[in-house]
Amino acid sequence: MKLLEFVRERQWIPITGYLIYVSALTAGYYYNLTFVQLGLTDLGTQEIGMSPGDVSIVMAILALFTLVAAVSSGVLMDRRGWSTDLYMKFRLLFLVVFVQLLLTIAAPYVSTIEQFVLWVIVCSMALGVGIPVSFSFMLDFVPVRDRGYVAAIVAGLSFFVAALYPIEWQIDEFSLVMSVMMGPAVLVLAVLSVKRFRFVDSLASQHERDAFGTGRFCRPIPVPTLSFAFLGPVVLMFGVFFIDSLGFLRIIETPLYIYTSWQSPDLSVRLFIAVLHVIGALAAGVIYTNFDRNWLFFWVFGLFAFTHLLYVFHIQFGAGDTPPLVLPMFYVLAVSFYTTLNFALWPDLSTPETIGTHTALGVGIAGWLATFLSTSLALYSEGVGLSLLSHLTYVNALALLFVVTLPVVLYVHRMVELARGGMTP
Amino acid sequence: MNLELIPLLIIVLLMISTGGADVETTEFVIEGDHEMTEHRGALIVGDATVTVPAGEVVSGPVYVIGGEFRVHGTVEGDVTQLSGSLVAEDGAAIGGELQHIGGSEELSAEATITERTTVAFESSEPGPIAAYTPVVVTTLILALVGALLSRKHEPLLDTVGAAAHDHPLISLTVGALLSVTFLSVFVFMAFTLILFPVSILGLLIGLLTIGYGIIALGYLAGQQLNIPRVGLSTGLGVVGIMVLLQVIGVIPILGDLIAGGLLLTGLGAVVLTYFGLQEFEPVSLPE
Repeated sequence: MKLLEFVRERQWIPITGYLIYVSALTAGYYYNLTFVQLGLTDLGTQEIGMSPGDVSIVMAILALFTLVAAVSSGVLMDRRGWSTDLYMKFRLLFLVVFVQLLLTIAAPYVSTIEQFVLWVIVCSMALGVGIPVSFSFMLDFVPVRDRGYVAAIVAGLSFFVAALYPIEWQIDEFSLVMSVMMGPAVLVLAVLSVKRFRFVDSLASQHERDAFGTGRFCRPIPVPTLSFAFLGPVVLMFGVFFIDSLGFLRIIETPLYIYTSWQSPDLSVRLFIAVLHVIGALAAGVIYTNFDRNWLFFWVFGLFAFTHLLYVFHIQFGAGDTPPLVLPMFYVLAVSFYTTLNFALWPDLSTPETIGTHTALGVGIAGWLATFLSTSLALYSEGVGLSLLSHLTYVNALALLFVVTLPVVLYVHRMVELARGGMTP
Repeated sequence: MNLELIPLLIIVLLMISTGGADVETTEFVIEGDHEMTEHRGALIVGDATVTVPAGEVVSGPVYVIGGEFRVHGTVEGDVTQLSGSLVAEDGAAIGGELQHIGGSEELSAEATITERTTVAFESSEPGPIAAYTPVVVTTLILALVGALLSRKHEPLLDTVGAAAHDHPLISLTVGALLSVTFLSVFVFMAFTLILFPVSILGLLIGLLTIGYGIIALGYLAGQQLNIPRVGLSTGLGVVGIMVLLQVIGVIPILGDLIAGGLLLTGLGAVVLTYFGLQEFEPVSLPE
């Protein structure tokens, strides 16, 4: 690891970069995991009293606006050169976090559908701008060699904390916790936005070093935006996020499954899930760093397919029985795997000139759009009374389809390359 | 699920499949407290407390491999107890054969049991020789195979050993992931009964692969002995590894973790190198 080299040589400034990246991304992802994805559903259905179908429409609006805001700000960042201007990114992040703090404080007071829609639109703008800003920090702070491991730490830590606290997925509790956490972050970012520091100057130039700037998959030839090398992973990650949310949203609505796993009153069960998240993320970090990325995709789809198969089997044959922990165990492994991949992949498919656009497209389409579209679909399926068994069977079919399609597409792509006379491996 | 249940579960599934029971009606109760008011088909009691209340009838057969099975009502078929606890209260009735192989039982004098057999073992607490015989035999077999393999196909063991030595973290990660996933897949397959032979075959291949990993680790250990005869050094190395795996278990938790880590590292190295046919090289990243 490059980090160990920095420690041996007592280079504290690059080490500070690691800490800033891990802190910022962990906090941001924790906010996304808890407040946005789960708290919003609670706000819409429980606090305002909207039907699941109506909440699904609002979620779709959130997804769409987030995508538009992310792509617009990502492209703008690249064109204006802000992607490589660390101080500008700190200013943008300050604005994003400040708006999110206001939204978080306001959330429990949202009581009408109109207020809810307005809240969601403003939230999506902040989220959209936050995506290319935060994900492009990888360029400044984390050398290419360590990206898999650092991504694993971010994913593992976020899930670890989210699995243990808060226990109740309710907007009031989320709002209080988040506001307290975001206050100091806003202050630090405000200072970094207006004052120059020598160590930040040094960090700001790190992307010019060979070990940092250009992503792993852009060496020696940068990956163009409109290419199989970029769009292929976008489609695959879209599938991963879509499958995850589509299944998970219905599982958490089922008391038998949720109160014996993620929201179990037994601390040891939640601790088991939290620790497993960390182990899964670290395993994904090792695989990402040492193997071709397609192996990780293959594992993720395989794990999801097997997990949903286990759930389907349990619904059919274990009706009413306490589900074994092996069910959430595989879910947790799959989620930690793809989240680690998501943090590392987009910066590694980018150069300093394209990182704003690529992270915005990658995280925007594959992450947000897929998550919220599938969330909407999950709420819709619940609204129309589709049984959990049928729902998970569809999700499982989708996961299996990806498991089969991935090697076939890669094989065909290689065949096409060979037919065209390409010699690259 | 308690991993110690898996061997008993496999035996029971084998008994069910040879007995021709219907997979659709077979139920495995893994944990929790359950009352069986009516159940048609085979019932397996795992780490759970299962009660047949008074006046209720279950068809059976029932297999107890852990937990507790309490009968107040009636079991029409056979009851086979391999482990765990069996309690037959006053008024309980077992229409078939009650076969006791292991575990504790508490049978009321007022319970009606049509036929009762006990498979008695000479001693439930085997002596030191009996206890260590399987380990010694396994060690000797692995040492012999290792000695032969290193003499005939040394490059294979060299390649696996190099992966375990040079990339222990990657080998451990791959080994752990494969073992967790495939163990679950094979246990899951066993439940379908149709795929039971595939499940057994998979588990056997898994065990053989772990054995191959131990041989490769033994080869590595043997290299440190500076013995010119590679067969002898590998054999001794394998014995050393096996002794280490046994002795280190004395340390609570940490010992098991180290032993498990060694086995998984060996397994991962075997898989990464295609059983030693190809050297493992991680992808190259900029320094």
